[in-house]
Amino acid sequence: MGVTQESGTEEHNCTQHYEVLQELGDCYTTIGNYEQAQHYYEKAASLGPDEPGPYVGLGVVALQKGQLDDAEIAFRVACRLGPDCAKAYTGLAMVSQQREDYQQAFELYMKSLELDSDSIAALLGLFQTSCQMGSFANVIHYLEVYLNMHPGDTSVMFSLAALYMKDRQLEQSKKVLRDVLALDPGNQDAANLLEEVEHRLAQKIQMQR
Amino acid sequence: MRATETCSYSNNEMSDNRRTLENYERDPKRSDIHSGARAKAGPMVSVLIPTFNRPRYLSQALASVLHQSYKNLQIIIVNDGGEDVSDIVHCCDDPRLTYIYRKENRGKAYSLNEGLTRSEGKYIAYLDDDDLYYPNHIETLVHTLENETDSQVAYSDLYKVYCNLMPDGSRQVLSKVVEISRDFDRFFMLYFNHVLHVCLMHRRDLIEKTGPYNEKLKILIDWDMTRRLVFFSDFQHIHQITGEFYSPAGECDRMSVQQRKDKSEYLRNLLTIRTTRPARPWSEIEDMSIIFVADRLNQQAGKTVGSIWRHTFYPYQIYLPLPEADFKRLSTDMPNVVLVSVDPMCSGTERVDAALARCDGMYVVIVPSGMPIEEMWIEDPLYALINSPVGREGFELQGSRDTLFAAVVRKDDLQYARKNFPNLSVPQSLKAAGITLRQPSFEELPFQFDHLLKHALLSEKDGNWEEAAQEYEHIAALHQNELWMKTLAAKAFFKAGNQTRAAKLSNEVNQQRPTIDTLLLEAKAERKKDSVHGAIELLKKAEQILIGQTDCLVPAETNRW
Repeated sequence: MGVTQESGTEEHNCTQHYEVLQELGDCYTTIGNYEQAQHYYEKAASLGPDEPGPYVGLGVVALQKGQLDDAEIAFRVACRLGPDCAKAYTGLAMVSQQREDYQQAFELYMKSLELDSDSIAALLGLFQTSCQMGSFANVIHYLEVYLNMHPGDTSVMFSLAALYMKDRQLEQSKKVLRDVLALDPGNQDAANLLEEVEHRLAQKIQMQR
Repeated sequence: MRATETCSYSNNEMSDNRRTLENYERDPKRSDIHSGARAKAGPMVSVLIPTFNRPRYLSQALASVLHQSYKNLQIIIVNDGGEDVSDIVHCCDDPRLTYIYRKENRGKAYSLNEGLTRSEGKYIAYLDDDDLYYPNHIETLVHTLENETDSQVAYSDLYKVYCNLMPDGSRQVLSKVVEISRDFDRFFMLYFNHVLHVCLMHRRDLIEKTGPYNEKLKILIDWDMTRRLVFFSDFQHIHQITGEFYSPAGECDRMSVQQRKDKSEYLRNLLTIRTTRPARPWSEIEDMSIIFVADRLNQQAGKTVGSIWRHTFYPYQIYLPLPEADFKRLSTDMPNVVLVSVDPMCSGTERVDAALARCDGMYVVIVPSGMPIEEMWIEDPLYALINSPVGREGFELQGSRDTLFAAVVRKDDLQYARKNFPNLSVPQSLKAAGITLRQPSFEELPFQFDHLLKHALLSEKDGNWEEAAQEYEHIAALHQNELWMKTLAAKAFFKAGNQTRAAKLSNEVNQQRPTIDTLLLEAKAERKKDSVHGAIELLKKAEQILIGQTDCLVPAETNRW
């Protein structure tokens, strides 16, 4: 039969205390209680010194407090501990974005999306940075990839439509905006943008004549 | 305090221990102990604490006993020839303490027997020197044994604490997990242990029936005793967490863990335990007699008998109907052997009849030389027979055939068949007597719970989380262990992305018996549902347990004694 005392028992779990503290940190961050969040991230870091998570959390807290240097240090520690930690790169990108270093922010968002193409924060950050820089091609690709995996995400669809418009792909933009409105008929931003896209399309046709 | 032997001490390291115990000295309820006001409210419980070279943790363990809500205690500390701990014991100044100090190290079993000899309580409880009781531990167990069950043994659930040992000797808690919370299963207890000693309490007079701890064993000492206890009583499982036992990460210093690494020593101990039979009568287990049929005690016969010895965990005696000349060739250390002298020329059937006349088990197994013997060879059909509602039914063993007949039947049935049809072979006589033989179906086999659990774990391993979750729910509904299975189901549903079900199940468990695992799981599910404040409340509860603020685990009711 092969049944032993250990069969069916839970996996050796050495991360539970760390996990509780990290979750508490994340919860307090969500509700904007950054003092408590910092307290729990620091405790989590002492229990999981090799984990990037608490440093990402500390970076987010510092970012929220406008302490960009502290945030950068925390995100860099997180990157060193977890070279595959997409959130750490997103954090660094946010720091660069706030310092108006859009080129670096763009590259860091791209790095983050390479590690996790599912990261909505990186995706929207990339979108904002692209708008700030006027460069759209890479962003469009990532938004398309994301929507393949999450069809129906209207906020990303709207961003993509805006980028298509800026990239002069007006027909594509119109199609996506119509899809947004089919899913969310009350979306006023989409309706306004669609109106503008249709206006530009009409102008384009007139010019061609 | 009473001490069999005291010794001088001067040790700076004891300051931590003193601090732990000073809290106890300041406890205002202590006046009750000296006045005896509450101390005599319920039956006395003797708590046995064997200790060997762990003074730092002993003081914490001892403090956890002294702080019990149940006061009528006799606390017996047995120092098994280790570092002097008399200052820890003396600074408690508690009349309930008995300290036994022995210079030579004679092992845990010897220490427990020494403690048992000195114990006077109606009940016995155990605590290792590095483990902890929560304040309600003794009260919970006594209340159950006195009021809620006819069982003479009860056990609760405990956290296994994974921790790092820090350079200063303190323990940094990483996780607290209820790893074993299995409802009592007598058949499983015969096979292996599922009740830890630290969460056990039993009537002291049961030791008169089980006999003392086996001092020849180096490991699995606790299981040897719990296994013998199942011969005489059911065990009542209390689904409440009432203490902690510690498991330091990395190389564990526990001697039992070190000794388990020696496989041959482990096997020797395992076989000793499985072949141990307490003195009869047994109130809860029926004996099994194995009649081994061989013409001569040759190599093949020796091999078969050896296999029976290695692969049988149900209590048995093996009857060897052999010519006297063969007796001398038998290994003298074979346990539970009954030699039955027969004529060298007699047939196999006559040998069975000769042995049957001596058998006193309720169940009789007939097994010929050369029969393939594997794990569960007899327990599978025996379990089916024990639970068979049909009379006049027996079970043929796997591999039995005309030339190698093997079966298990009730002794009464076999005696009836042999008495009425003595001239027929054994299978023919059984048939003639109307006793049908068949093989057990899968549903009749023992350890159904374990088989299903194994299957669900495999589903998890393959990433089929939803399927695994449903299997756990099925087991919970049909095979006891409801809280344990619901916890596993909640985890699997969470992994499968079914947050609603995960939250519902973990909430159900947390209402009944919160654990850090289920609190964490419910919190994660709540957070996914954007209920952040609810998640924080649950996580705070989990944190309190992790840092040792166990008040939340103690029922709000007043002391029942």
